[in-house]
Amino acid sequence: MRREPAGDVGRAKEMDETVSEFFRRTILKIPMTEMMTILKTWNFLSENQLQTINFRQRKDSLVQDLVLLCEENRASLKDAALLDIIYTQFHRHQKVWDVFQMSKGPGEDIDLFDMEQFKSSFKKILKRALKNVTVSFRDAEENAVWIRIAWGTQYRKPNQYKPSYVVYYSQTPYAFTSSSQLKSNLPLLGQALTIASKHHQIVKMDLRSRYLDSLKAIVFKQYNQTFETHNSTTPLQERSLGLDINMDSRIIHENKIEKERVQRVTQEIFGDYPQPRLEFAQYKLETKFKSDLNGGILAEREEPLRCLVKFSSPHLLEALKSLAPAGIADAPLSPLLTCIPNKGMNYFKIRDK
Amino acid sequence: MELANTLSQDGESRGGVLAHLERLETQVSRCRKKLEEPQSTQAVESALGTRIHELRRLRDKLRAEVKQHQARVKASTTNVEPDQTLEITEQEILKRKRENVKAILQAYRFTGISGKLTSRGVCVCIGTAFEGNLLDSYFVDLVMQKPPQIHHHSIPVFIPLEEISAKYLQTNIQHFLFTLCEYLNAYSGRKYQADRLQSDFAAFLAGPLQRNSLCNLLSFTYKAEPEGQSFPFCARLLYRDLTTTLPTDVTVTYQGTDALSTTREEQRAAHENLFFTKPLHQVFTSFASKGDKLDMSLVS
Repeated sequence: MRREPAGDVGRAKEMDETVSEFFRRTILKIPMTEMMTILKTWNFLSENQLQTINFRQRKDSLVQDLVLLCEENRASLKDAALLDIIYTQFHRHQKVWDVFQMSKGPGEDIDLFDMEQFKSSFKKILKRALKNVTVSFRDAEENAVWIRIAWGTQYRKPNQYKPSYVVYYSQTPYAFTSSSQLKSNLPLLGQALTIASKHHQIVKMDLRSRYLDSLKAIVFKQYNQTFETHNSTTPLQERSLGLDINMDSRIIHENKIEKERVQRVTQEIFGDYPQPRLEFAQYKLETKFKSDLNGGILAEREEPLRCLVKFSSPHLLEALKSLAPAGIADAPLSPLLTCIPNKGMNYFKIRDK
Repeated sequence: MELANTLSQDGESRGGVLAHLERLETQVSRCRKKLEEPQSTQAVESALGTRIHELRRLRDKLRAEVKQHQARVKASTTNVEPDQTLEITEQEILKRKRENVKAILQAYRFTGISGKLTSRGVCVCIGTAFEGNLLDSYFVDLVMQKPPQIHHHSIPVFIPLEEISAKYLQTNIQHFLFTLCEYLNAYSGRKYQADRLQSDFAAFLAGPLQRNSLCNLLSFTYKAEPEGQSFPFCARLLYRDLTTTLPTDVTVTYQGTDALSTTREEQRAAHENLFFTKPLHQVFTSFASKGDKLDMSLVS
């Protein structure tokens, strides 16, 4: 899908076929409803240039026209990578995000974080280790940066279709990375992050989800933002958890006291705020069998039993919160379930002490 | 006529007798009814009569009540005398006192640190301000157990809350709160200065303002006169002390390749000094008010 821009035969450097193809595939991913917004956010093609394109045609032809326009404007791999970052920012739920925690040594100096220094340091470390790597940055709100890394090897050019993403908020110990299929590059990525942000150690947390904003709320402890003040007009105690106990005065609930207890306990544990969104919690058990009965085959077994329990839900924490009020589970719930946002974990390994 | 009908045939004469008897019976019952009618109508009449009396009585009663009420209202509006105010009940006095106290509690947040007792302890509100401008408020919800603990908070993640609480929370809550207050007020102040520079003095900046979460490293290229011929300077401000709103390190450099003239060098040094001593946005306000002339007398 290459065409010499008319009149520019001598001067124009033709766009590399791979870059052209990368543009085509990236633009093709964008849903038609978001096309204008994303192109405007990208800000590579001007308003006037965009106006020359017919956005009502079929998608394939639209994509062709856009790629041609990019070629005419000598768009580079760097521009394509930036477009890819913007697409991913709009569709962050399509990736599964891991969380890494970094730490400094004791008695460290004040962190005078310089974003430009961080970026150049990060890029340098990766380029020194791997000749073939594409590193792109896009600044985001709250002094954060989105980093896109396309990995290659000593002998192969970077694979632009399996990039890793890192989201880092300056002067915090946390980094969020999209789970890459290329696991072998993880140590190098961790090293680059740690050194560039002037930390000493990096550790992967047992926390994973598609919902980047929920992960941020969990580790930054921003999920519970209701505070009692003298200035608030709504009294906190008078809100019920959706249990309309007093719907009809002719109905008397025999277990009213128990219902109120359950409601109170649930509210103490889960609070009144919207829960951060996670899709699952996984418990790996490696424990010896415990039984009240004497004897029995399993009681004599020396080896621990291994089993995996996984809870899945479109919104796990809200589902857990509604278990006791719905009568499905006893209140209070097991601390293994309720500690998830507090501990910042949704992967657990349970062993005998 | 009926008699003639019944006596015409033999077979019907018996029916005729019975029919006759029937007729006599109906006649009797008719007469009886006629006798009773005036009685029942009388009864109805008397019942209606009593009802009318009742209704009249009720009407008079209601009229009297209305008159009474109107008289009372008239009386109360005409008698606005000091002795009437003595009737303000105790309840109203208490109500006013309560609202007063509530207002004072609400106003407490302007002191910078205020709090409200909760079921577990206290929820402290730290209000920040800089140069008389009220800025963001932050909350720390404390659980007052034997070792006090933080239940939840709204302190930004880049403020060293863990460090401060590790040092002071268990031993001296007051010190903990004051230290936290210091850090937050300083952060708010630095942020305010950076925000003011970006929004109010964008014309002076030659490029984007580089900053970080704590606003303790600011790097920018600027011109002292937005349209003038002055050369752009690069400024780099470091705030190593997180409890202050003025920088600890300032470097102003010249971007060009040729050496600086003496006036430019003096200017550069003067600017460095300005950034050390005055809040960022005030420095730029002084640039703006200077106009074309560079006033060296600002160097203190």
